[in-house]
Amino acid sequence: MTTRRHGTLLPRLADRIGRVLEFLWSGWAGLAAMCLLAAVWQAGHEAYGPFILTSPVETLQAAAALASDPRAWALALTTLQRAVTGFALAALLGGGLGIVAGYSPATMRLASPLVTVILGVPPIAWIVLAMIWFGGSDATVRTVILIAALPVVFLGAARGILTRDRGLDRMAQAFGAGPLRRFLSVGLRQTTTTLFPGLALALGTSFKVAVMAELLANAGGIGGALADARTNLDIANALAWVIVSVGLLIAVEYTLIYPVKGELDRWRRAAQPWGIRR
Amino acid sequence: MNALNLQGVGHAYLGRTVLDGIDLAVATGEIVALVGPSGCGKSTLSHIAADLIEARAGRVLRGYRRHTMIFQEPALLPWATAEDNIAFSLKLAGVPRRQRAARIADTAARVALLPEDLRKFPVELSGGMKQRVAIARALAVHPDFIYFDEPFTALDVALRRRMQDLVIDTCAGGQLSGLFITHDLQEAARLADRIAVLDSHGKGVLGIRPLPSAPAERTDATNFDWVQSALASDPLFRHIHDVDERQIT
Repeated sequence: MTTRRHGTLLPRLADRIGRVLEFLWSGWAGLAAMCLLAAVWQAGHEAYGPFILTSPVETLQAAAALASDPRAWALALTTLQRAVTGFALAALLGGGLGIVAGYSPATMRLASPLVTVILGVPPIAWIVLAMIWFGGSDATVRTVILIAALPVVFLGAARGILTRDRGLDRMAQAFGAGPLRRFLSVGLRQTTTTLFPGLALALGTSFKVAVMAELLANAGGIGGALADARTNLDIANALAWVIVSVGLLIAVEYTLIYPVKGELDRWRRAAQPWGIRR
Repeated sequence: MNALNLQGVGHAYLGRTVLDGIDLAVATGEIVALVGPSGCGKSTLSHIAADLIEARAGRVLRGYRRHTMIFQEPALLPWATAEDNIAFSLKLAGVPRRQRAARIADTAARVALLPEDLRKFPVELSGGMKQRVAIARALAVHPDFIYFDEPFTALDVALRRRMQDLVIDTCAGGQLSGLFITHDLQEAARLADRIAVLDSHGKGVLGIRPLPSAPAERTDATNFDWVQSALASDPLFRHIHDVDERQIT
């Protein structure tokens, strides 16, 4: 038994390390894109001067200064905490409702006009309402994130259940799986195809909305720092905070969403022959 | 006691009757092939017998211990390796984790799946290999009844023969009973102990013909002769190749 374990463990480990290295290698493309952006940015800086647009180097210096400031860390962590908890709420609620709607056509028929309504109301209106209800607190930011990110997660989960392979359900039933077993072993796994793009989108929305809500509700965090930078006309600092918030989003996305997605999509990679893997 | 007894089974889709008054019995240790033109409701009947859908009328008596099913499409979980797909049925049957590896290896050997095939995902397997995995998944739980729902229709001729041989070998011990749905009389004549013919409009079983000997003892020549004479002289098989695309299966 132990020899068998070793026999399967080693190749699996090698496969995983291979995937991580391949993923890191794909970082070069990302780096190249960043350099391109920096070049355009530098051109803009040279055309309009430092008052309108500071140079990328100055911005990075400002960001580095923020990184060595413990107060800046506290601000960034506040926003991070709000965005991640808001995202988690949206993911749980939206995912749960979406799955129910996927299985129950009546719920879907009731829910889809509501989703359209929620999508149609501008987030700024929700910020105003949430400010009145909760003041400048975490709850304001979380509420706005929940409302902004809910529809995509809901639709992703519902679509995943709706487009599931019914043949697999039938197969599981023929082998004696009850409704709950069928959902856990067959249905849930199939929603991931459409749920994960929805989650990635929702996470991005969470960060954007968190910063916006903080700025407008004067609730501290990165949004609050951006408001200060605006008052002081400190372009370098404002851009540095933008970099920080984008950096946080990237960090969360690559530690939370992508590893899980990579693990779930192992079989998809197996379908791609060598040479056309991206 | 019979392994399966269908008494007066009827079913309707959206108010349209597709099956009516079906009586059919499968004795323990025998394979009954159910043939009939496309769209006569034979798949629906097997789904009713296997408790996948509820009959609108009649009774289904199951005298067997555990059934499994092999479908027309392999219906493998795309995200699981061949091994894990076979383990899926074992898990549902409540086989303890420690015993699963041995069971999988055992069953894989029976259907000629190699250890390296077991580590592959369904997308990496050919159609025949996928169906092999589906057969292994059905056999791994040691069922005493198997529903075959046109399992080899999508395979090419040579592959179909090999899969049929596999079924004949597996069932030769007499421990296994089964209901084999097919529209191919040749296939039914190779595999079955008895052949039941379903009415083209699902109005009952028209008749049942026993085959002269056990499937393992028959040769291609005897099967061919049997089918030829059945088609030529037995009125039961007259409408077997009728096709009506408008009917809902």
